[in-house]
Order: sequence, then C-alpha cells, then structure tokens
Amino acid sequence: MPPQQAVAALPARASSNLRLGLLVPAVAAVVALALLPVFTSGYVVYVANVLLVYVVLSLGLNLVIGEAGQFSLSHAAFYGIGIYAAALGNKLLGLPLVGCLLLAGVVAALLGGVIGTIALRMRDIYLALTTFAFGEAMQWLFLNWEPVTGGPNGLRIPPSSLFGVEILNDKQAYPVVLGVALLMLGATVVISRSRLGRAFRAVRESDVAAMAMGIPVRRVKIMAFLLSAFYAGVAGGLFATFSTYIHPESLGFQTTMTVLTMVVVGGLGSTGGALLGAVVFGLISELLRQAPAVQEMTYGLILILFMMFVPRGLAPAVSRWVRGRGHV
Amino acid sequence: MPELLSLRDVSAAYGRIQALSHVSLSVPEGAIVALLGANGAGKSTTLNVISRLVPQSGGEILFRGASIAARASHEVVRAGIAQVPEGREVFREMSVRENLELGAHLRRDARGVAEDVERAFAYFPVLRERYRQRAGTLSGGEQQMLLIARALMARPALLLLDEPSLGLSPLLVQQIFGIIRRINEDGTTILLVEQNVGVALGCSSYAYILENGEIAHHGPSASLAADGAVQNAYLGGH
Repeated sequence: MPPQQAVAALPARASSNLRLGLLVPAVAAVVALALLPVFTSGYVVYVANVLLVYVVLSLGLNLVIGEAGQFSLSHAAFYGIGIYAAALGNKLLGLPLVGCLLLAGVVAALLGGVIGTIALRMRDIYLALTTFAFGEAMQWLFLNWEPVTGGPNGLRIPPSSLFGVEILNDKQAYPVVLGVALLMLGATVVISRSRLGRAFRAVRESDVAAMAMGIPVRRVKIMAFLLSAFYAGVAGGLFATFSTYIHPESLGFQTTMTVLTMVVVGGLGSTGGALLGAVVFGLISELLRQAPAVQEMTYGLILILFMMFVPRGLAPAVSRWVRGRGHV
Repeated sequence: MPELLSLRDVSAAYGRIQALSHVSLSVPEGAIVALLGANGAGKSTTLNVISRLVPQSGGEILFRGASIAARASHEVVRAGIAQVPEGREVFREMSVRENLELGAHLRRDARGVAEDVERAFAYFPVLRERYRQRAGTLSGGEQQMLLIARALMARPALLLLDEPSLGLSPLLVQQIFGIIRRINEDGTTILLVEQNVGVALGCSSYAYILENGEIAHHGPSASLAADGAVQNAYLGGH
C-alpha cells in the first residue's frame, strides 16, 4: 500500500470500529426512546418532552458559545420568540405544526442574525453584557406587549395540529418532539463536521489566524448567532406543541443560565456534551422543581464546581470511558 | 522577471500612531525578497497590510497588476496570497489535520487538497507523524513547520512569512530555511520578514530595510550583505 493510502486508511478503520461500537447502543436508545410513551405515565413523557426541548436549546447555545466562542446570553429570548411565534402562527394564522415550528425557527434566526451583526463590534464581556441586555429587553417586551403576548396574564396556546390531527396531550406531542430533537441533533453533527463547523472553531481560537486562512470571520460569526437562535426558536416551537400556556416569567436570564450550565456541565464545544448536559442537568432540575430556592442554589453550585474542577465538562471523561470499553 | 506584488507609497496607522509611511517595494515572480529591520520598524505591519488584516491609509497595492486595496482578507487569500501570521498562531485546540484543512478553507477541490497534504508531508515529514495530534502539543519548531504547511494549503502564488526563525535553535533555523528554499524552487514566490539578518540575506535575492516605518535602504541581498556600512547602521553589525 502506498504511504498516502496507509495514512488515510488507518484512522478511518479505527473510527469505523468505534462508530460501529456506538451505533448499536445508539439505535437501541432511539428505539427505547420511541417506545417510551407505551410503557410510562404521562408525567414521565412530559419530563421527556421538557428534556428534549432542553437538548435542542443546549445544542444551539453550544454552537455559538462552545463552537464559535461567541458569548451569547440571550438564548432565552430567542426561545421565547420561538414560543410566541409558534403559538401565534397557530392561533392567528392557523398554521399546521410543521409551519409553526419553521416560523418559530426562522423568526428567531432573523433576530439572531441582527444581534450577531451588532455583536460583531464587540467581544468577551462587552458581548456578554450586550446580549444579556437584549435578553432582558425581550423579556420586558414579552411582559408588556399585551395585545400580542398576553403580557403578565400569559398566553393560552391552542392545540397544534399535525396532518389534521390535534395534539392534545404530552404523549401525542412526544413523537414530534423526539423526531425534531433527533433531526436537530443530526444537523448539529453535520454542521460541526462541515467547513462551517471548522470555521467556527477557528474563529473561537483566533480571529486573526482565521482571517489569514481566508475565513470570512464576520460572516461566520453572524452565522453562529443565526444558527444558535434558530435552534432556540425551534425549541420554543416544540415547547408550544405540548404546552397549553406560556408566561413570560420563564423567559428570562434564569433560563439562559440553566441552558448555559447544561452546556458547561456537558462540555463546551462538544455536541455529545451538550446532549449529555441537557439530560443530566434537566433531570436534576426537574427533581428539584418542588424546592425553587434550593434549585437556584444548586444550579449556582454546580456551575461553580464544574468551572473549577471539570472545566472541560463531562463529555471528555465519558468519551474516554467509551473508547476504553471499545478496546476490551 | 515580471512583478508579482508591488507596494507604491503605502502608509498605515494604528489610531494616531503612524506605522508605515510611503513604503514602496516590489516582489518579482519566483523570487525570495527579504524585509528586514529592527523591532517595531513596521515589518509585520507591511505583511498585515498586504493580507488586509490592517487597513492602509494611503498608497496602492498591486497583485498581478490589479489593486487589492479594497479587498477583504478572504478575497486576498483567494487571489493567491497566503500569510504565516506572526506570533505562532496555530489553532492549538485542533489537530494537525484540521489545521491543514483550515489552510485549504477556500478550496473546493478535495482531490487537490489531499495532494497538497501529501506535499506538506514531503516538506515536513514530522507532520505526518503528528497528523492526529493536537497542534498545541507540538514543539516550537513543529508548530513553525505546521504554520508554513498550513499557509501552503491555500496553494498561494505568494507566501508571506513572518519570522520563521523566531525562537528556534540554529540547527532548526537551518533546516526550516532549507525547506523555504525548496518551496521557492518549487514555484512559490516568498516575501520574508526576518530578524535573523544573516540567514535572510543568505536565502533572498533582494532585500528592503525598514526603519521607523520607512524604507531606509534596499538592494540585492548579496551587496547588502557585503556592505559594512549598511550592516552597522541598520542590521546590528552582523
């Protein structure tokens, strides 16, 4: 074999073994997830729906912060925009479910693009503060634009319909939520391995070096914000499919922090990490829901402990474990 | 030889601090041209103006006879100018492989890119051994090699090299400059910024000396190397 092929073939074979080792459990997990409503109560399915929304939110936040290294603290705002867009698309325009989800994603993405364009002028703490301010402003808008959002009274979301069938409960919504979440997960893997994903990581490491590679840094940054907002918008649209009511209180900085914690706990810059963080931390958060005071303290504590002792998150440790098992 | 790049009266400033004033230089196709001078004389700024990382405040930059003054940095790369930026900026968190792929970011010809990875391995065999390794774990010399290899992945007509000898042992400097010469013989024109005057004059055919942002002296490298007055005045008397 000429050396050129030897180099190309070696790693490919190693990773295809690993891939096969992961494929079986992955397929089993998807099947188990798909069958979840058959075996479990409505509450468990509700929690699963919530976790899947968190998964989509985390994947999106990880794209902009983890992959592209741009600090965005307005994720909850894009999530809220998605919820209202989907709910209103359904209520006022009578859009079917798929239309509502797309509308939610697109409206959020457009605003994300605008924020990304503004954010080009800033970096680090200034960027964090600006996006934080945008998030707060949006929450204020949700609270006060009563004709559209219902203001502090919240908004009743009518049941959405898929192919003419109304979705009335969590179990009916679940296949849609699971399907879309898996789709978004697949898209994330594709993006992360694409030229765009590589460009994100290059920009994260160094603007100047990225420019020297011929990467249009401005466009790439805007794209990161736009994509991340699209994910948050779709997550909002998903929430609207299994929820009957939305109140602006849940669309503030607290939610952004929750998702940020998930991404950090899982491992910034890792798709698997975002997935893992959302599930693990989402479960903790659901368990602590009865005790809100303890909940917030626990979030803070977990975030601090991870930043101090596990700054790379759970993902590297887990992937080492998986690889280790593969050798046995 | 036809002219590949020329700067005419180029000026640049960082805020109110004048970094370059009325710099004119010419790089013929196929040559290695050296840009020498003390720290802060404007050598790196000159390269950054050419690659559009720093805007110019006046003058004209012509590449293959066409102005690139209004181009964005990625358009300059696409036109055929690749830079090895100063300060050893490899993408530390990424593998050697990803670094090389990033060098080819604007190219769509997967087959050509794969060939050029092999070409990079031919120049720098150690990169083949390090292919899967994180670039941040490479030694200083290996990182320098990766920087040059990465810039070559854009298949540039003109390579801008910023201090390839920085922080390397004399032996490694000899080795790297041997490879730089080979790259040039294989058809890539090079504009070289260097502090190591002896090595730079040894491998270039023509040299410019910058002082306080202006061209203070220029001439064929061999005659600059032989000119004791120039050596003493500008180049630290080597």
